[in-house]
Amino acid sequence: MRRAWQRTVSEWVEGLRIALSSLAANHLRTFLTTLGIVIGVMTVIAIVAIIDGLNASFATQIGNLGTHTLYVDKWQWINTRDDWWSMRNRKNMGRTELEAIEREATEALAVAPMAGRSVTVAAGAEELSGIRCTGTNQRYLETGGGSVAAGRFLGPTDVELSRSVVVLGADVADRLFPKVALDEVLGKRVRVRGAPFTVIGVMARRGRMLGMDLDTNVTIPFTTFLRDMGGKRSITIAVTSAPGRLSQLEDELVGILRRARRVPPEKPDDFSMNRQDQFLKLYNQLTGALYGVAVGVGLITLVVGGIGIMNIMLVSVTERTREIGVRRALGARKRTILLQFLIESSVVAALGGAVGTGLGLGVAVFVALVSPLAAAVTPGAVALGLGFSALVGLLFGIWPAWRAANLDPVEALRYE
Amino acid sequence: MGDPLISIDRLARHYSVGGEVVRALDGVSFDIQAGEWVAIVGQSGSGKSTLMNLLGCLDTATSGTYRLNGADVETLSDDQLADLRNKEIGFIFQTFQLLPRASALANVELPLVYRGISRKERRATAEQALRSVGLGNRMHHRPNELSGGQRQRVAIARALVGDPSLLLADEPTGNLDSQTGEEIIRLFGDLNARGHTIILVTHEPKLAARCPRAIKLMDGRVLGDGPGAEVAALQGPRAVGT
Ligand SMILES: Nc1ncnc2c1ncn2[C@@H]1O[C@H](COP(=O)(O)OP(=O)(O)OP(=O)(O)O)[C@@H](O)[C@H]1O
Ligand SMILES: [Mg+2]
Repeated sequence: MRRAWQRTVSEWVEGLRIALSSLAANHLRTFLTTLGIVIGVMTVIAIVAIIDGLNASFATQIGNLGTHTLYVDKWQWINTRDDWWSMRNRKNMGRTELEAIEREATEALAVAPMAGRSVTVAAGAEELSGIRCTGTNQRYLETGGGSVAAGRFLGPTDVELSRSVVVLGADVADRLFPKVALDEVLGKRVRVRGAPFTVIGVMARRGRMLGMDLDTNVTIPFTTFLRDMGGKRSITIAVTSAPGRLSQLEDELVGILRRARRVPPEKPDDFSMNRQDQFLKLYNQLTGALYGVAVGVGLITLVVGGIGIMNIMLVSVTERTREIGVRRALGARKRTILLQFLIESSVVAALGGAVGTGLGLGVAVFVALVSPLAAAVTPGAVALGLGFSALVGLLFGIWPAWRAANLDPVEALRYE
Repeated sequence: MGDPLISIDRLARHYSVGGEVVRALDGVSFDIQAGEWVAIVGQSGSGKSTLMNLLGCLDTATSGTYRLNGADVETLSDDQLADLRNKEIGFIFQTFQLLPRASALANVELPLVYRGISRKERRATAEQALRSVGLGNRMHHRPNELSGGQRQRVAIARALVGDPSLLLADEPTGNLDSQTGEEIIRLFGDLNARGHTIILVTHEPKLAARCPRAIKLMDGRVLGDGPGAEVAALQGPRAVGT
């Protein structure tokens, strides 16, 4: 029993030793053989690293939408061209719906309107155009609207009295009042679309969401927005539920909205509920396809690399026919020979996989440096690269190893 | 005498080459007792190596039976044959068959590797075997850095290292000068005295004459089998066997 175990151990050690010495004896050949695997693994690792990077940045971006928040809108945010035409003809969303929800929705923890348009903001000689102006209420932050870095957010009285107060986005504050400390920005006068406003707060930096810069905006009371910025636009209503009760909220809101908008029972909803996970779903579909392409490309190159390995292993078996005969004559079993060659092919492939992984990560880091694409190096990707290539070596080594193991000892010894 | 160590009965090995049948071995029968020292003689091409391959469990016969230690070799599995070669048989090949990329020491260690002996013990045993054939100072040389005679001695050390009960030597002295050859033969004598069974192929009638028993082959058949001195003197097909 002990002997058998010891024998297995020395077979493995010997197999590994033979593999390494044979690889060392054929530098150039080893290098060329692994090239296919190297390229395959490199491609997959690079693509996967870039996708993982995108995932991470997307996750942070999408985090700017509240997790438990429904965005009630005339528009379906993710739509097809066909939907677009039907949604265009929908009735605008406005105060009626907002008030109905505020009055009736028992599942709602916070309700905030979001009216928006692009405006010019100015202070002194400084003038910024293309700034997004959002009209909302004091509950806005609770629906996932970020947080305040200095001063305060809108309060109930600001909304009630339609005060001309404004909360600046981080970038707007920076650009209008460069070199001014945040606290000193408070109380300053700015002009939004020409009308004078008083700064009451500055938002904390939020980053980007789906190509939209969340820091180049200003927030004013909803009522002020309707008065000064035009009240005919359709608004979005953000409604937040308790954790885990988003679908209950959705059911409730559908009823409230159908009544408020007088949708006949036989007609479909003429409004849409947008939520964060729809974006996630869409995004996952897109990256899933990309993953598919990466895996496809990787598999093809790995198969090509595997065939290269099989080829070189067949050559190696032929070259070492006599050696195989000698080993068999001295007591190596068939499976000992099989093991020896399987170890060799796996080691070659894993070596290629290691080099390919290194290069792939290099490519990913390079891409991250020179382009806006992020790249994330996950241990999973590395393990995948190494494991896959060793597996390829193993699979494509089976046939040559099997041939080696089944050589007739006498004929192998006689081989010239 | 008890059961013979080796018992072969009408053993034959035929090759077909290009549609023609070559009867390398054509019905050979004899017994060899444990502890015997037997020389196999015969002209080149008479089937000596073919017979040795069969006795060494490297090859399978076309027909006939081969019983080793009472077991019919034909019925043994491939793994059992491998273990037999590893533990019971020491084979010295006519063409040495050393691994070219391995040192003398590594070559000699090889049978012990497949026996699962620890690295340290393996090394010590192999060094001992190399010293016993007078190569204590050439352990780390590769075969291509050794003379023909030295290679032969590495091959002998490799066959001896596992302390096999049956030693098969195909022309072990063919490449040695007479003095080294003499030493090797004396080594075999010692081994035989210690109980090892030795079967030795040789071209030299002088050497065969010194063996207690010799078997002479001709065209794949036994021409003579008897005391070394008598058989070695046999000439041609008109001679009569036992
Ligand atoms: N693999 C083979 N295929 C065909 N014929 C073979 C094969 N091996 C041996 N033979 C033939 O069998 C006969 C016996 O060969 P063998 O090698 O046993 O001779 P030998 O007695 O060992 O000769 P030598 O003294 O030259 O070594 C020869 O005629 C040889 O041509
Ligand atoms: Mg021969």
